[in-house]
Amino acid sequence: MTDTAGQAPKPVALSLQGLSRQFGTFKALDSVSLDIEEGEFFTIVGPSGSGKTTLLRILAGLDQPTAGRLLLRGADITKMPPNKRPTAMVFQSLALFDHRSVGENVEFALKMRGRPKAERHARALELLDLVQLGHDYHARPVTQCSGGERQRVALARALASDPEILFFDEPLSALDYRLRKTLEVELRELQRRTGRTFVYITHSLEEAMVMSDRIGIMRDGGLVQIGTPAEIYGRPGDRFVARFMGEVNIFELNKGHLTAFDQNLPAGNRFMTAVINGHMVVRPEMLHPVQPEDGGVQFDVTVTEVFHLGSRVQLHLDSVAGQLVAELPASSPLRAGQTVRFGFDPALAHCVPE
Amino acid sequence: MNQQRLGLLFMAPVALFLLVGFVSPIVIVGWYSLMEPRSFELTTVFTLANYRTAFTEGYEAPFFWSLGGAAVTTLTCLLLAWPTARILHALAGRGAAVITALIAAPIFISESVRLFGMSLFLMPGGGILAGTLRTLFDVNIGSVLNTKLGVYLGLVYVHFPFVLFPVLLGVALIPPDRIDAARDLGASRWQVLREIELPLALPGLVIGGLLAFVLCIGANAEAAILGGQTVTVLTRAIEQRFSYAQDWPMGAALTILVIAMTAVFVFPALARLDLNRLIRR
Repeated sequence: MTDTAGQAPKPVALSLQGLSRQFGTFKALDSVSLDIEEGEFFTIVGPSGSGKTTLLRILAGLDQPTAGRLLLRGADITKMPPNKRPTAMVFQSLALFDHRSVGENVEFALKMRGRPKAERHARALELLDLVQLGHDYHARPVTQCSGGERQRVALARALASDPEILFFDEPLSALDYRLRKTLEVELRELQRRTGRTFVYITHSLEEAMVMSDRIGIMRDGGLVQIGTPAEIYGRPGDRFVARFMGEVNIFELNKGHLTAFDQNLPAGNRFMTAVINGHMVVRPEMLHPVQPEDGGVQFDVTVTEVFHLGSRVQLHLDSVAGQLVAELPASSPLRAGQTVRFGFDPALAHCVPE
Repeated sequence: MNQQRLGLLFMAPVALFLLVGFVSPIVIVGWYSLMEPRSFELTTVFTLANYRTAFTEGYEAPFFWSLGGAAVTTLTCLLLAWPTARILHALAGRGAAVITALIAAPIFISESVRLFGMSLFLMPGGGILAGTLRTLFDVNIGSVLNTKLGVYLGLVYVHFPFVLFPVLLGVALIPPDRIDAARDLGASRWQVLREIELPLALPGLVIGGLLAFVLCIGANAEAAILGGQTVTVLTRAIEQRFSYAQDWPMGAALTILVIAMTAVFVFPALARLDLNRLIRR
C-alpha cells in the first residue's frame, strides 16, 4: 500500500481509525483504517454488501461505529451528531425534499443555520450557476425536474453550507450511460474548482477510474487495497481486485511454471524470483494472435464468440486453460469458429500472491 | 362516448342512494329550518326567525362546548397519536401488530358500553381510579365523573383510534432518507420535525384530525354518560328541540348551522389534501 512516494505528505482531512460496525452477529465493517487527504477525490469501490454504504453513513454521522475513531483534521468527531458536522452528503436516492421547490431544497442547509433570506437566495442562485441550472429553476417544484436536473439540485443542496468534505453514495447509479459520463466529468471538474475533499462510493470501478485521485477497494467489510487508479489497474493486490477491475484472465503460477499451459516462464522473468506460488493476471488487451517466432507464452485457441464494443471487439476463446477473454481492434478479421494461435508477453503481465 | 354512458350507468345506483339517503334529508331539514317556529308543515312561507333565535337565545353555550370540545380533543389526539405512530412505525414487524390490535379492539365494542366502563373507572370513592389511588398511595381525589374533565377524557379515549390510524398512514409516507438528509444538512431534531416530518405526514394528520373533529361535534354520549348535567352539547340541544320541545324548525335551523360550521373546517382542509399521494403508497 505505497502512497505516491517522494512527495511531501498532504494534510489529512479525515482519518479513519479501526472503524467497525456490527449488526447483531454480522460484521458489516471490520476495522477499517484509512487517511483521506485534504482536497483529494477518494473513491471507495466494492460490490454490494461489502459495507461501503455502512462506512459512508458512519463518516457522515448517520450511523455510529461499534468500535474505532473518526478524526476530522485531528479532532475526534466519532460521536458528533450529523447536523453538527461540517460535512454534507449526496444520497443514492438523492433524498430531495419533494414537498419543496428547487430553491428551498438548495437553501435548506442555510435556513437551518438561521441565515437571512436575502443571503440564502443569493447563495442559491450562485449554486444553481455552479451546477449549471438556470435561475428560473429556483421556484420550480423538485418533482418537475428530470433525473439529471435532480442530480444537480442534490449536488447544489449539499454544497450550500460550504462543507469541508462531501460524501457521495452512488448518486449516479440510476442515470443512463451518457448522462452518467457527463456528470462524472463535471463532478471531477467541480472538485478541482472547489478544492474540496470528495469521498465517493460506487460499485463501478470504471466510474472510480475516471474521477478519483485514489481508490480504496472494499470487500467483506474491509479495505483490501488502496492506490491510484493506475496502481489498482496495473498492480491489483489479489485475484478479487483483479477480477473487480473488469474482464481478466487468471493463470495459476507454480514456481515459474504456468500450470494450465504446462509451460515455464522464460528465464529471467521478474516473476521467477518475486513470486513462487501465485496467479498471473493477463488483461484481455494483452492477449493477441501470435507467430511462433514471437516468443512469449503461446497456445492454440478456438474463437467461440465475437462481441463488438465499438472501437474494439471482445473475443471469447476456448483453450487448454479454459475460457479466455481477449480484446482486439475492431479491424480484427477473426470470426467465431476459427482456430488460431494466441499468446501474450509474460513480462507485461502482473502477478498476485495466492 | 359509449364508455362515458357506461360510466354514468355504473354511477347510477350510488347516485340514487346518495340522493335518497343524503341529499333529500338535508333538503328537508333545510326547508324546515325556514318554517315558522313550532310548525310541523312544509310551506312556501319562509322565515329566518329560527336562525335569529339561534344567535340570540342562549345557544352559544352548546355551540361553544361542542366546537371547543372537538378542537381540544382533536388536538390532544393528534399530540398523542404522533409519538405513538412513530413508535409503532419503528416497531413494524416487531410487535407493532399486537399493539395496533390492542388499540383497535375497543372500536368493536359498543361506545356506550365502553363509556359506562369508563364511568366505573372514574367513579368517586369506590371507582377504580380513585379507589386505587387511595389504597395504594393514600391520595384522595375528588370526582372526575360528572365533570368537564370526565367528558374530555371520554372524548379522547373514544376518538384516539380514529386519529391514530390515519396518522400511522401519514408517518409511513415519510421516507427515512429524507430525515437523514435533513440531519446531514444541519437540521436539529426539532427542525426535522417541522420542516420534513410534519409536512410529509400532513395527509394523515389532516384526515385523522378531521375525523376526530367531525365525530366530536356530533358526539353526545360522552357528555351524557361521563358529564352528568355539567355540559349541554350541541347534538343534545338539537335533540331536545326535536323531541321534548316539539320545535322542529328550531332543531332544523341548529342542524343546518352545525353542518355549515363543519363544512367551514372540512372543505378547506380537504382541498389541501393530495389523496392520490396517500393511496399510491
